[in-house]
Amino acid sequence: MKKFIKEIVFFLIIGLVIGEIIARFFFLTPTIPESQIDRFGIQKYIPNQAGYWKGGLHKWQINEKGWPGKLPESFDNLVTIIGDSFIENFENPEECHQMDYLKKALAKYNYTEASRSGVSFIEALEISKQLDSLNPKVQLIYINETDFSESVLQIKRLPNITQMDLDNNLITYGKMKAPGLKKVLYSWKLAFYLYRRFQPSLAQIKPAKSNVKPNQSISDNFNHFEKLIGYARKNYNLEKIVIVLRPDTNKEFREFLKLHVLNVIQLDNSEDDNWSFEHDYHWTCYGHERASLQVVEYLKKL
Amino acid sequence: MLFNSLEFFIFLPIVFVIYWFVANKGIKLQNVFIVLASYVFYGWWDWRFLSLIAFSTVVDYSIGLILKNEKKDKTRKLLLWLSLLVNLGFLGFFKYYNFFADSFVEAFSFFGHQINGRSLNIILPVGISFYTFQTLSYTIDVYKRKLQPTSDFMAFAAFVCFFPQLVAGPIERATNLLPQFFKKRKFTHEKAIDGLRQVAWGLFKKIVIADNCAKYANLIFDGYQEYNTGTLILGAFFFAFQIYGDFSGYSDIAIGISRLFGFDLKQNFAFPYFSRDIAEFWRRWHISLSTWFRDYLYIPLGGSRGGTAMKVRNTFIIFVVSGFWHGANWTFIVWGALNALYFLPLLLTNKNRVNTNLVAEGKWLPSLKESFQIILTFVLTLIAWIFFRAKSVSMGFDYVIGIFSFKSLQKLTIDYEASILYLLLFFILIEWIGRQSKYAIERITILPRYFRWSFYFGLVILMFVFTGEQQQFIYFQF
Repeated sequence: MKKFIKEIVFFLIIGLVIGEIIARFFFLTPTIPESQIDRFGIQKYIPNQAGYWKGGLHKWQINEKGWPGKLPESFDNLVTIIGDSFIENFENPEECHQMDYLKKALAKYNYTEASRSGVSFIEALEISKQLDSLNPKVQLIYINETDFSESVLQIKRLPNITQMDLDNNLITYGKMKAPGLKKVLYSWKLAFYLYRRFQPSLAQIKPAKSNVKPNQSISDNFNHFEKLIGYARKNYNLEKIVIVLRPDTNKEFREFLKLHVLNVIQLDNSEDDNWSFEHDYHWTCYGHERASLQVVEYLKKL
Repeated sequence: MLFNSLEFFIFLPIVFVIYWFVANKGIKLQNVFIVLASYVFYGWWDWRFLSLIAFSTVVDYSIGLILKNEKKDKTRKLLLWLSLLVNLGFLGFFKYYNFFADSFVEAFSFFGHQINGRSLNIILPVGISFYTFQTLSYTIDVYKRKLQPTSDFMAFAAFVCFFPQLVAGPIERATNLLPQFFKKRKFTHEKAIDGLRQVAWGLFKKIVIADNCAKYANLIFDGYQEYNTGTLILGAFFFAFQIYGDFSGYSDIAIGISRLFGFDLKQNFAFPYFSRDIAEFWRRWHISLSTWFRDYLYIPLGGSRGGTAMKVRNTFIIFVVSGFWHGANWTFIVWGALNALYFLPLLLTNKNRVNTNLVAEGKWLPSLKESFQIILTFVLTLIAWIFFRAKSVSMGFDYVIGIFSFKSLQKLTIDYEASILYLLLFFILIEWIGRQSKYAIERITILPRYFRWSFYFGLVILMFVFTGEQQQFIYFQF
């Protein structure tokens, strides 16, 4: 038994070293940027980082403000683009960001992005408040209805997401979930690869629990959303904010937003639904370009 | 729990350490631990169905004990029927109830009578076909006085639910596996290393070969109307290697893991795609099931001893039942019948036992005649696999017609990565070199250590780099 264990351990050590080399050489996992929480409670990335996407096909970078993508040459006549993983856009090369397509289509504005995966509506508003100092003409917030639900603590408590406690009119800022473990996992490429490769098998056997209870409709949360919008009206510059809804957004929800006189752009891919990757719901470069063209139509009218 | 999952990679070392270091005080304790571990393994999928395994265990254990002291043939027969009724009753209800209900309604509507059938929303318990046949082998052997029934309940329970082969075989005979639960298991370095080697090869077959072939097989079978002849042939080819890599891979992992715990299971696959005729193919494919049907169905029916009509009848029965065992769908019955049609000419001309030796024994390559025989046999199995994979019999026929109607040459083809063909070539080559062994890389031990280890690391790297989209083992559904 001793000999067996000795051989297994030896084999594993060599295997781990070779595996790590292979994982790094073939870019089996994307590099994940390190994040931090700033003094305002906003979770963003540590500035000036760079890394590769899976397969090493393209590089991403975090700018000096702590957001993915590059900064504009000038902050004059500015349009800000705030959002979640869709805007973060690590899956695509640098030139496929919304800001690049928008600049190409409507050069009179300058554009800057501020995004992080998992951003809730209330956190997006907090980011917009920070960006107000740049005196933007318009602030575009790319979200969908789940970002609204996740913003309300009374719907479901999510400690790692910034939420609004509607009962106490208080924002509870998201906390970083297991940052130490994540740091180890992201640096140890082989472990991260194995985690990503085998982790879905848990979900295959046991279906993931949905936030939405059976028979619960989005309209059940509208009273919460009304309170949330009421708070937003008092505390953020909603005049400048335009909500850009993804094509898959619930129709009822869209009507609800319009009813509450918020500026809304509903993206539409009904004639051409080829916006996403085959195995990933995020947009491809093509999807980003199509989305930007629809946003430009709105911006031109301003 | 899947063998190719994170949970299992955590589960196995824990069970291994407890089994050899904590539960090694005696056989009884080890058997209790095997039962516990196996129930956790199975319950991870759905704990509710553990009650079925437990019930079958209690019934067959009790019937075995009663049979031991029962002298009257009539009562003995009654007890055997009781075991058959309970075990096949569960199997019939969970696996075949909806099939019979729907077929009944369809048959009546065909003759112009509309009746209301009621389909039930039944979940098929994973591995029910496997453990049912395993426990049945015990009762039948005890009834036939080929096996002494055991009074050791824990040993029997461990035999029924032994986790490496519980959900997808090999279907072990009580005569082979049960006695191993009575003997003290001794850890040997060579056996454990050999087991791990077989596990590695099984994982390679599953993760690299089967899962990658599945990607293209699914694509082609799902849109078969759109594709041209060449692509349809490719689809059948990919499925043939998917099912072989998947199922023989599972068997290799199961046998390898059993060796880690000191058990020897029987070989389940013996390089079936190198068979020179269908009879040889069925001696090499899913051996534990083929021999089960041979011993408990074909021979009791009279086997090949009677006249031509009896031979034909028995052959059809065994193949059709074997097809039906795989699933409650007419496609499996057609698959079985097609294999019976392939097999009959050999049986009727007494040529079914011509190719019992190893193909091209002691040679690097097969002769021209052998090559032709191997290719012909493979093509025949390929056609049969189309029905096995098809969602309905009509789809199976349409697929085959699609292959043979060369009008469809203008139709679409698929884009596939050439690497899958290189991987298949590598796989076939290793299987061919190792065809005289119980599994392809068994004899790698004759090579120097640095070569062996480089080969193992190479396998692991291939598993990482060419890992396909994780698929459940096909045979879980049976």
